[in-house]
Amino acid sequence: MRAACAPVIAAAVRSHPDVITAGADGQALFGPVIGADPRRYIETGIAETNLVAMAAGLARTGWRPVVGAMAPFLIRRAYEQIRLDVSLPGLPVLLLGVGGGLSYGPLGPTHHAVDDIALMSALPRMDIYCPADATDAAHVLRACLPPGRPTYIRLTAREDPPVIDSGQPGDVHAVRTLRAGRDALVLATGRCVAEALAAAEHRAGAGLDVAVAAVTCLHPFPAERVRELARDFSLVVTAEEAAGPGGLGDRVATAVGGPPAQVTRLRVDDRYPPVGTHEELLAFYGVDRSAITSALTRTLIRKGDHEDPV
Amino acid sequence: MSSSAEQPSRHSPPAEHRPVGPADVLAFADRARLRVLRLAATKALHVGPALSVIDLLATLRLTVLRDRPGRPDWPDRDRLLLSKGHGAYGLYAVLAESGVLAGDLHRLPGHPADGLPGVEAATGALGHGLSLGCGMALGTRLAGRPGRIVVVTGDGELDEGTNWEAAQFAAHHRLANLVAVVDRNGLQQEGWTEDVLRLEPLADKWRAFGWSVAEADGHDPAAVRYAVTALLDGPGPGVLLAHTIKGRGVSFMENDPGWHMGRLTAEQLSTATAELAARATARPQAVRA
Repeated sequence: MRAACAPVIAAAVRSHPDVITAGADGQALFGPVIGADPRRYIETGIAETNLVAMAAGLARTGWRPVVGAMAPFLIRRAYEQIRLDVSLPGLPVLLLGVGGGLSYGPLGPTHHAVDDIALMSALPRMDIYCPADATDAAHVLRACLPPGRPTYIRLTAREDPPVIDSGQPGDVHAVRTLRAGRDALVLATGRCVAEALAAAEHRAGAGLDVAVAAVTCLHPFPAERVRELARDFSLVVTAEEAAGPGGLGDRVATAVGGPPAQVTRLRVDDRYPPVGTHEELLAFYGVDRSAITSALTRTLIRKGDHEDPV
Repeated sequence: MSSSAEQPSRHSPPAEHRPVGPADVLAFADRARLRVLRLAATKALHVGPALSVIDLLATLRLTVLRDRPGRPDWPDRDRLLLSKGHGAYGLYAVLAESGVLAGDLHRLPGHPADGLPGVEAATGALGHGLSLGCGMALGTRLAGRPGRIVVVTGDGELDEGTNWEAAQFAAHHRLANLVAVVDRNGLQQEGWTEDVLRLEPLADKWRAFGWSVAEADGHDPAAVRYAVTALLDGPGPGVLLAHTIKGRGVSFMENDPGWHMGRLTAEQLSTATAELAARATARPQAVRA
């Protein structure tokens, strides 16, 4: 995602004289900015709490900072600065968390940030985006630049399977239906969009017609649109690479509010993970294509809507 | 905003203020003290920390910082950040005495809140102010504007690690328009700083981090003004270790950590008020009333 995002950030710095960037010894997002005008990138060294509060100070003197750092350290270590220095005064600071969720895979739990969405969701003022792939991430960035309010975008550490049409990325604030279907609806965010599409493809081979929609904007949440979509289904499955409250599943369940649709939430639970690749960890937590496939099958059998052919 | 010009004007002294002598500052500060004490007779508040820092805040506001009366949002103002947010009522009282803050101080929050005139940032979670000040100092310089940033921290507050991230940052980026003033009263909530978590040799620590260091009696307006002005004219960030007395001005509060937070009885308020009045009488006549 960083390769797709870096030129978008550089373009915003070029077109808006009040946009400035800052990072903590991780410059992959800001290489083109530094190349064009090194004064528009502020280096704090490996010091995330100072990074965030310093950026808030920049914002208080008229700048619109774009802050990028590794998600676990940006969000967990600097959480108090994010809450009190950025969110509370509502400053135009854009936070880019690289490696949100499990995408650092075998680097281990020090580098995972499955709690970033829950932590950001607990803030009264914080827009939250979880892009589905690199195209989506660049598209979200274009929508969020120049920064106008406290905003968090979760980026992945590695390239994820492409799922969004780069020619027609759609409205990042909407619910984008990527695959139509009649039997069930899977709402997914981030990397789980690719997993949901793979699961729907797999079930199609078994005669199940599953719709898949991507939800990139978690706050403000498109609740009305989710409610409308869910109205046509008896089963809605949510899939997200996130733990704790405030994620996609909770937001969908609240929006849907009850029958006729049953909401099955697939999300990261409260176990610490074993060593594994990103894909293995998605499987460990039951948010990968196989888990989504099982959830669809299991629930539809129980409801008697469908005879599992397998 | 222009990011091209990088020519901060750091020349002191402030041009915007009328001449104010040390006796004026001390008289002003004691009027602010009285406001704090009266409030502390109605509810428990951080009275010791407020009395410790009031002379510093009064000196900075009256003799160092450049502002425009009636325009707390003037973009080229010097900014004063009270990082030790628990000294809030000291700041409120000084702002009220300056005419910046009007209305009932009793209703204001126990830590400085956004949106109040003269409050540059919500503080109170310790260890944020210096980083905020770094961003303000750098942002001001990058924009080619003349504003200077003064961050007042507690000494116990320096236990928080973020201060030292900010200290490294300020030195690396040569933030010459940034000054930290440490309210070095030697006490934190549970006792002497040197017993809770040793800070000394504090001046050497700042020097090792690349800062210019000055020390002064924090209750001596002339000394504080001289030191802060010199630091602001220096080539990089500067820190004033301002030696102060927690609870300054009220004998039974001075150096007593029990008054970190407290509420005065009517009798205590009466005693404290009498002490302030006696100080005023003993003080050389102020140049201006």
